[in-house]
Amino acid sequence: MTEPLIYLDHHAATPVDPRVREVMRRAEAEAWANPSSAHQAGRAARRALEQARAQVAAAIGARPADVVLTAGGTEACNLGALGVVPDAARVTLSAIEHPAVEAALEGRPTRRLPVLAGRPPDADALPLEGAQLACLQLVNHETGTVLPVARYAARCREAGVRLFVDATAAFGKVELDVEALGADAVAIASSKIGGPPGAGALWIARDAAVDPRQRGGAQERGRRAGSPDVVALAGFGAAAALAAERRAAMAEVGRLRDRLEAAAVSLGAVVNGDPAHRVATVTNLSAPGWRGARLVAALDLEGLCASAGAACSSGVDGPSRVIAAMYPDEPWRAEAALRLSLGPGTTPIEIERAIAILRRVLPRRGPRETSSGF
Amino acid sequence: MSARGRVLVAMSGGVDSSVAAALLTERGHAAVGVTLHLWDAAGGDKVGRCCAPEDREDARRACDHLGIPHYVFDERAAFAERVVDPFVAGYLAGETPSPCVHCNQQVKLGRLLEIAHELDCTHVATGHYARITRDASNEIRLLRGRDRGKDQSYFLYGVSPEILAKMIFPLGELQKDQTRAEGRRLGVPGWDKKDSQELCFVPDGDVGGFIERRTGARGDGALVDPSGAVVGAHEGHYRFTVGQRRGLGLGGGSPPRYVLRVLPSEGQVVVGDEADLYATRARATDAVWIGAPPRGELRAEVQIRYRHAAAPARVAPTPGGFEVEFDDPQRAIAPGQAAVVYRGEQVIGGGLLAP
Repeated sequence: MTEPLIYLDHHAATPVDPRVREVMRRAEAEAWANPSSAHQAGRAARRALEQARAQVAAAIGARPADVVLTAGGTEACNLGALGVVPDAARVTLSAIEHPAVEAALEGRPTRRLPVLAGRPPDADALPLEGAQLACLQLVNHETGTVLPVARYAARCREAGVRLFVDATAAFGKVELDVEALGADAVAIASSKIGGPPGAGALWIARDAAVDPRQRGGAQERGRRAGSPDVVALAGFGAAAALAAERRAAMAEVGRLRDRLEAAAVSLGAVVNGDPAHRVATVTNLSAPGWRGARLVAALDLEGLCASAGAACSSGVDGPSRVIAAMYPDEPWRAEAALRLSLGPGTTPIEIERAIAILRRVLPRRGPRETSSGF
Repeated sequence: MSARGRVLVAMSGGVDSSVAAALLTERGHAAVGVTLHLWDAAGGDKVGRCCAPEDREDARRACDHLGIPHYVFDERAAFAERVVDPFVAGYLAGETPSPCVHCNQQVKLGRLLEIAHELDCTHVATGHYARITRDASNEIRLLRGRDRGKDQSYFLYGVSPEILAKMIFPLGELQKDQTRAEGRRLGVPGWDKKDSQELCFVPDGDVGGFIERRTGARGDGALVDPSGAVVGAHEGHYRFTVGQRRGLGLGGGSPPRYVLRVLPSEGQVVVGDEADLYATRARATDAVWIGAPPRGELRAEVQIRYRHAAAPARVAPTPGGFEVEFDDPQRAIAPGQAAVVYRGEQVIGGGLLAP
């Protein structure tokens, strides 16, 4: 492969911004000690940590004291879903939550807010009876669907239901003002905004308590045990400080996405999710006859990085649960789903090359017969 | 892309497929490793082959070592429906099924060919010990692997010539110890990994337990002699296969007794002397021929299970099947097993032994 890779998987991980990398290099040299230590070296690390916290807080309209720094988005989501109302007997979820929330609550009785065809329902549709906790995503990781969480939050408040919001796919793409959102806790992650992986945060409303998920230290004011990865968190802080710049690029990103999507549609693909209710960075497509995982492999061999859904640790992609929930009557869509996600660094030339690759690859399959044996 | 074209290599995580991939890479092919995820090992039996996450990891490691891409695709639904369910049904019907034959014929190779097309690969390579050549008129021929002890052509008789035409068996000319030596030479991770003898979805070899866990079947019944007299009891007819001696619970009496037949409707297992296991005639259904079906009787060698030295016989085609008359009586002709027709090294076709 002589041509450079085309990276259209920004919803899985974003390339680390060079300015962020510079901050991390400095932190590596100066802030390597344990920030809980009482000596000078520890103080240097603590300064870097607190600066990161302040940067993250500023980027989401929060007080630094309300920000719990974590080792990534999954940890922040687990802490939010399980820590805000640890003994919640009944939980209300959207039907399209990320596995970091979904799996954390496995085994609890849940009620679901359907998001059919990626169309967010009115706040009245939120099934809150008997619930102690609601977990609602601000932006969906696979389709970019934006849920009107501020309206849902108002209903939760009326009903006395606590609210955790997974905003990992929203941060850096839409304006995020956690104080105005009306939630009890909000999770964000570094690796979705041009920061390094392994850093995240849970914002907790000032009157809300959180039950730590791991034991062994009183770090983060007793809300999260364990020595933090100061270098990664310094990178997260630097990336958070650049979040406004990312958001400013979204109009152009959206134009490139639309061009890419139109080309895929002209090749026979259908769009998953409602284009009227989504962020600018992503198109989720189903091409008849294809299975998502195989299409991802075929595109990879041509130099285009994409994904079939949430990146799965086992390396096996089943049908997308998000797309299955959006289109219960069209299971083929979930089998075929392909996610192409862009970032502020995506160039028009990359999109033209990606379109050329789609033109080569998609026609290799026509609609699949019901049985593909021989 | 390499001058020699892109080849999909089916990777199980075992030494054979890893060495196959290494050899193709060394020969200048652009190899793409593909592992089909066919089965999830249940709680206690995570020691198997292609079903255990560990083996998928081994496949990935081998590909990483070779610097080739590796992808895992989910085919669990097809495998359960077309291989495991018929396997269980076969045992419950008193047969001895041939799941590897069905897997190659119904799932694995077909899916791999389909994926190869999608990934723009010209060929599919596997670590099977078998050979493909073309005869003077350019017709595809399937031959035994050079290593007679490892030869796997028996499991491949049902693969269509159209598919065989797109297959490569890089190990077909090798002896197993040469494969390991090549693996060692090329630094393939796991080159000294032990071979698996069991079915990939029953890694502990306890077929009876597997069937009971999957279906809830319980089938205590009688062991009877050929005259119908009860001589003992058994804990499920699906635990027995024709020719089996162990597990009958008849003590070490002499002469030793063997399973002659399994009668599922009566829940009976018929046991008798070893001499009663021998038969000269057999009948096969679901015949598949590589190339044009024979128009009349032919002389050939017929192999009635994987570990059987193909025996000379007269083969007479019937509609959809064939009849076999061996020159010498053969031991333990088990319904459900494949009867594969050879001429010398060449596979002519095969079918499934009928009761």
